[in-house]
Amino acid sequence: MSPKPVTRRDFLKVAAAAPLAGAAVPAVRGLSPSTARAPAGDKVRVVLVRDPAPLGPGGAPPAEVVQRMLDDGVRALLGEQDVVKAWKSLIGPDDVVGIKTNSWRYIPTTAEVEQALKRRVMDAGVAEDRIGIDDQGVLRHPVFQKATALVNARPMRSHYWSGVGSLIKNYIMFAPRPSAWHGDACADLAKIWDLPAVKGKTRLNVLVMFTPLFHSVGPHNYAKEYTWDYKGLILSRDPVAADATGLRVIQAKRREHFGDDRPLPVAPHHIRLADTRHHLGTSDPARIELVKLGWAEGAMI
Amino acid sequence: MCAAGIPPSRRLSSYIPATVGPWLSEADRVYGPETVFGYIDGAGEVYRSYNMRLLVARRFHKDGRPDIVVDAFDMGAPEDAFGVFTHDLDGDDAGVGQGSVYKAGLLAFWKDRYFVSVYAEAETDETRAAVVALGREVAGAIPGRGEPPGLLRALPAEGLETRTVRFLHTHPILNYHFFVADENILLLGRETGAVLAEYGEAGGRSRLLVVRHKSARRAARAEASFRRAYLPEASGAEAVRTENGKWTAVRAWGRHLAVVFDAATAEEAAGRLDAVKRRLEEERS
Repeated sequence: MSPKPVTRRDFLKVAAAAPLAGAAVPAVRGLSPSTARAPAGDKVRVVLVRDPAPLGPGGAPPAEVVQRMLDDGVRALLGEQDVVKAWKSLIGPDDVVGIKTNSWRYIPTTAEVEQALKRRVMDAGVAEDRIGIDDQGVLRHPVFQKATALVNARPMRSHYWSGVGSLIKNYIMFAPRPSAWHGDACADLAKIWDLPAVKGKTRLNVLVMFTPLFHSVGPHNYAKEYTWDYKGLILSRDPVAADATGLRVIQAKRREHFGDDRPLPVAPHHIRLADTRHHLGTSDPARIELVKLGWAEGAMI
Repeated sequence: MCAAGIPPSRRLSSYIPATVGPWLSEADRVYGPETVFGYIDGAGEVYRSYNMRLLVARRFHKDGRPDIVVDAFDMGAPEDAFGVFTHDLDGDDAGVGQGSVYKAGLLAFWKDRYFVSVYAEAETDETRAAVVALGREVAGAIPGRGEPPGLLRALPAEGLETRTVRFLHTHPILNYHFFVADENILLLGRETGAVLAEYGEAGGRSRLLVVRHKSARRAARAEASFRRAYLPEASGAEAVRTENGKWTAVRAWGRHLAVVFDAATAEEAAGRLDAVKRRLEEERS
């Protein structure tokens, strides 16, 4: 046990000092108040790119739109106008590349995103047989077993046990026994990023926000009623910063839908702890430089 | 094998019909507490928190219509079927089984030691009718009825919001409904039972938590732990005024521990604890 547990009363104290902030506290425990005064120069770049094109039956925009969104996002993220050059700064021709996706039935990463990523990895000079795309089978996948570089791509959704399904959580399939990481609402998921199969290998994180899920019901955590067409991608080199940004979108949607500052039932504190306990990245919005591209209507952040 | 010689999964499968209207069923998938994650990811922890034994999942398909999925859980005991049902009470009473809710294409109900979810992947007038019909058929096929947890009888009736009553075992589930602390300061676990309920009107709402520990010694330790972490300034006092101007009070007797959160006055908190004690004593006598 830590010396002093965090209790409901700690939140009541904040609420007493700043009523509006207090109302949101349980929901925003995934973000770090302790680092709110970080120097501006330390900011981590996150790119949100959106496009109003209609979504197809699989929940993604048309493939050419997804490719354009991804390219615009990568260019803005890396400050390089030539998208192939930008990718070559991430991936080398000698790399073996695993694209870690998410195959959840209701809101997958989508084939459009997977293929857009694969195309640019190939443009960076990697032969097709040195690229793998997988989710549940990464530990058995021969490419992932030899991977020197990873691209992490998954949708954000509310989740019964971790608050939200996040980029940080997407690597849980690299653990031999994923359920061993469920303790304390998945508090220490970031430690998975220290496993040999992934440590230091991630070149890009893509949080898919085409149809995010902002509220969970039933055994499958899902009802279409609690998704909406946000039509966005969030990109960052830093998975924690991307997750913290996606979480802000989810929380904003919950405020809009429920009409009050209703916290996620399970605090997504694994995002904050990935920063403050495990130093995987930056969770504090004040230390994140958010670059917004494309469709602005309904961006929510 | 169960006592009657029928494997529990086959027994559970037998409660689910092969068709519903034009929808035809696909092959059953069966999961246990160690394999449930492969089906519903980390949400499986909710069912494991209630000691799930078995899950039979059956998908119904009809071209051109949304699929319908039945997830039938054998929870091993009626109190856990009731408990996991109370995990999500959002929705309207559908009059199915021993308690049910319907919302957004999802029907959930409990009966005997079973918790059942019937879910349409998209909600239409047709799927809504099919989901409820399917639920009624499954509920009708389950032969027995179960008793809700006896601990519910500890809840005083006056002011009780009956739709907020939840039964649980573990502190992550408690925190899901009402965040108390990031650590397990009430010493909850699979071997404890607890009921959580709301009292009063909106705006003046308080909560009552009653925990049954496995021993009086454990309950006394839990009280001390709670006081140390949550009410450090209490000294010998039963109730403390917290930062929101409301009162929290704790008391343990025998194997039981009760906490009132956010009462309007110290007297209201003490009165509710007195009522809990009376009801538990009546139950024992």
